[in-house]
Formats: sequence, C-alpha cells, structure tokens
Amino acid sequence: MARSIMTTESAGGTEAATGRIDLQEVDKVFTPRRGSVAIEALRSISLDVRPGEFVSLVGPSGCGKSTLLKMIAGLLEPSSGRIAVDGVPVEQPRRSVGMMFQTPELFPWRTVLKNVLLPIEIFRHEREFHRKRALELLEMVGLEGFQSALPRELSGGMQQRVALCRVLVSDPSVVLMDEPFGALDEFARERLNVELLRIWEDARKTIVFVTHNINEAVFLSDRVVVMGTSPGRVLEVVDVPLGRGRPRTQQMMREPAFTDCVFEVRGMLGL
Amino acid sequence: MNREVRDQVAAVEGPGEREVGQERRAAASPWWARALRYVVRDRPELVLAPLALVLLVYLWDVVTRTGLVAPVLLPSPQAVARALRVLLTAPWFPGNLWTTVLETISGFLIAALLAVAVAVLMDQIRLIRRVGYPYVVVLQVMPSVVLAPIFIVWFGFGISSKIVVAVSTAFFVILVNTLSGLASVPENSRLLMRSMCASRRQMFFKLTLPTALPYVFAAFKTAATLSLIGALVGEFITARSGLGRLLTQFSFALRQDMMFATVLVVGALGIALYGLVAFLEKKVIWWR
Repeated sequence: MARSIMTTESAGGTEAATGRIDLQEVDKVFTPRRGSVAIEALRSISLDVRPGEFVSLVGPSGCGKSTLLKMIAGLLEPSSGRIAVDGVPVEQPRRSVGMMFQTPELFPWRTVLKNVLLPIEIFRHEREFHRKRALELLEMVGLEGFQSALPRELSGGMQQRVALCRVLVSDPSVVLMDEPFGALDEFARERLNVELLRIWEDARKTIVFVTHNINEAVFLSDRVVVMGTSPGRVLEVVDVPLGRGRPRTQQMMREPAFTDCVFEVRGMLGL
Repeated sequence: MNREVRDQVAAVEGPGEREVGQERRAAASPWWARALRYVVRDRPELVLAPLALVLLVYLWDVVTRTGLVAPVLLPSPQAVARALRVLLTAPWFPGNLWTTVLETISGFLIAALLAVAVAVLMDQIRLIRRVGYPYVVVLQVMPSVVLAPIFIVWFGFGISSKIVVAVSTAFFVILVNTLSGLASVPENSRLLMRSMCASRRQMFFKLTLPTALPYVFAAFKTAATLSLIGALVGEFITARSGLGRLLTQFSFALRQDMMFATVLVVGALGIALYGLVAFLEKKVIWWR
C-alpha cells in the first residue's frame, strides 16, 4: 500500500501539539574494539513521526529497531545524520521522552506506587499532585488497591502495567516502547494492547513501538515501519488503512483491510 | 506473598491463571494427629536432625566409656560438660571472652567500612578500578592469615594486632562481593534511569546501592566468621588475653576437656555473630 496523501490528519481525538520526531539520514556504525570490523547497524534512516501518532517498527532481529529507539531516547548517539524531537536536536535523554523495555525493570525494594513515582522523584516534581495522578493511572490499568504491593507479588502482565504507569506519570509527549509486551503470554499481551490503545486514544501521545509481531503492529499503529537487516534499514512505511475511524476494536482484526495489511507487511519481510 | 494481595491478584487475573485453589478437605482428625502426619510426611528432618546429634553424643559416650580411646585424647561428654561449667564460672573467663568479642567486632566493622568504601570507589572511578583490580584478584586468593605473624611484629602483642589480623581476613570477601554486587545492576535498569535523566548520585542511591545490598550482606555473614577466625589466629601466635590464648594454654596443660569446652564457646560465639548479621540483613533487605 502506497502512502496516501489523504491521511495526514487523524480523524478522532485532538491532535497533540508536541511530540514530533524527525530523523534525517541517520546512520549507526558500531566499532566494538579498536581495529576490529565495524558493524553497520543502521543505514540512512529517515522518518517523520507526527505529534500524537502511533508508529510501529517491525523487522527481524538485528535490524536495529532497538538501536533506533535508543538513539531517539538520547541513550545512543547516531554516527551521522540528525535526530530531533520537537525541533530540538537529541543529544542526551530528556524528560519529555519516556521509555519502556521488554522487562518491566521495577525496583523490588519499592512498592508499586513508589515505582510509578520514580520519575517524579528523579525530576524532583511536586509529589502530592503526582501521587494522585499515579493512583489514577493504576486504576486505569486495573491495578487499584495494589499501590502498596511489592513487584514480586505481581504477575508479569501486572508488572508491565506498573511500568506503563511509570512511563506515563510524568506526562511525556513521546513514549518509546521496546517490545514492551514481548515477554508476556498471548492473553496478557492482547489485553495490554487493548488497554494501551485506550490510554493512547485518551492522551494522544506520540508512541514509537518496537515489535516482532506483525499483527500487533498493524492492530495498534497509524503507520508501520518495515525494517530489514544487514545493514538495518527502512524497507517501506505502510499506512494502516483501518480506523482513521478510531477507536480501533478487536473486531477490526477480522476485516479484510486488516488481513490485507498484515499480508502486505509479511510480503515485504519475505514471509 | 500476603494473602490479601494474592486474592487481589486472583481477582484481576481471573480464575485459573494463578494458584489454582488447592484446598484440601478440612481434616476431621485431632490437631496432634495432623501435626504428626505433617512432620512424618513433609518435614522428617525436624525430628531426624536433632536425633542425629543425640546419636553422635551417645556414640562419643560409648567410645570413651569402653576405653577405645584414652580419656587424655578424648574426654567423655560428661567431662566436657563439667569443664564447660568450670570455664563459664571462672573469674577470668569474661575478660578473655570480651577480648575476643571486641577484636572480632572491631575487625569486622573496620573491614566492612573499608571494603565497601574501596568497592564503591573502584566502581565509580574507572582509573581506580583498572589500577586496583589486578591486586584484588591476586590478594583475594592469598590466605591472609599468613600475614598474622607480620602484623604481630608491627602492631605489638596487644589487642590492636589481632584487630588488624581480623580486618585482613574479613576484608577481601566483602570487597569482592560488593564489587560484583555493584556490577550486577541490570543493563535495562541503568538505561531506564538514564532515560529519566537521573544524575550520578540518583543512579547510585536509587539503583546501584540497593541492587548491591544483598551481595554486601551475604559477604558480611561470611566476614563475621572470618573476622573471628582472624582474631583467634592472632591470639594463637601470642596474646595476653582471649579465647585463642585460653586454647593454647589448655593445650600446653594437656587439658583436653577444657579445650573442648572452649571450642564450644567459640562455636557459640560464631553462631551468635552470624545470627546478628543475618538479623540485620533481614531488617535492611526487607523486600526479599
């Protein structure tokens, strides 16, 4: 499916004002040791993500999707090219960009609530207001009453929900998610995907979502960035034709437009 | 997991996903029958472990009673019990005990402070780590008690030389464990903190230090015992006071019964120190 010029405006919800990501001709070359062979992780990545857009990066292992995410987060420097968030070049991590990993990375010595409030503590933001917000977020993901529980008392899915609350509590304009539900079983994963969509439709943050799972990518995203390996590069950017009439529902997975899109992406990946 | 949380987990996850209710039918039998069945079926060691000790003491008694081993070499359990009573009530005993306790605890505390400080410096400052690491590797495999005679010469016959020996025996296990604890921070946790723009200080106090604490306390438990060993070895060489000096004196006097009694006291002291550190560990690392 070619990129349609008619889809620049998303139909539902208010358009977020911040959270634009621009990547121009970004390359990343790793040189593990002096004198060893350089590994070209990413070649010439250009991508614009609109404020409030949900974009997925799919591709086989080693296509550099996590590397790309870390560069947008300011955790890695590109070897060449330009990355900017809201027009400001990314040189280091910033507060308006939140990140979530495949593992929840909750600190076992903190209760659920204190884990959610970690960014607030680090930013030295006002506590009382954010405490209320954290409790609301926990309620939104179905964890009301768990604020004093310890991480080890929760299942993997519930831990990842806590991590989701933690990344949202400081209200960042961009959320980067590195296979956030990849370690969960199919059921937990589907439930979390639906919850994530609901939250995103409410809050309209820019989300960049890395996954191996093509169904998941198509179901969640406005656009799917299909990536290939050696070197990591963008093969194609696919507009998902579903739900310009958002909200998206699981019933849409049965629509021909959904399956067509999934098979189109699969084709690009040679599956 | 506390019960309330578990019920809530079940409520969120729905039935069947976690901890399928495995309730047995309420037993109609009396409590002692259930207790007996529990011990026999699930925890036989509760009875068998003490029984093994009783058996061992009985064998010991039989061996000494039948004259298989001369009483000079192996005193009977009764003789040791008598000697223990003599030892514990002797006017010179508390002073000797206190000397060893003081040396052990001072040695442990100094070693703990020094080793944790050095580990943190090595972890935080790359140059110090690179320079120091080879020495740590070499020195930790050296049995540091061999330094005891040297320390006695340097620091005299009094209590301070024993403290130094205790420090040197306890130091490396804490240093090495703390270093690996500090290095055990998961990569993604570190990235998470960095993505939140955490300062070095925040990174250390909110992530690195709590991650390392379980390693540090595991080392403390070993180090408490090692510190006692160091103090005793120091006293073996030469001392005016202490349990180690008592042992050497009883040895010269061929008082095997008193030696056994002293060994029991040393053992009890070791267990007490270990228990104290284990208690602190539970308090500090409460989330485990």
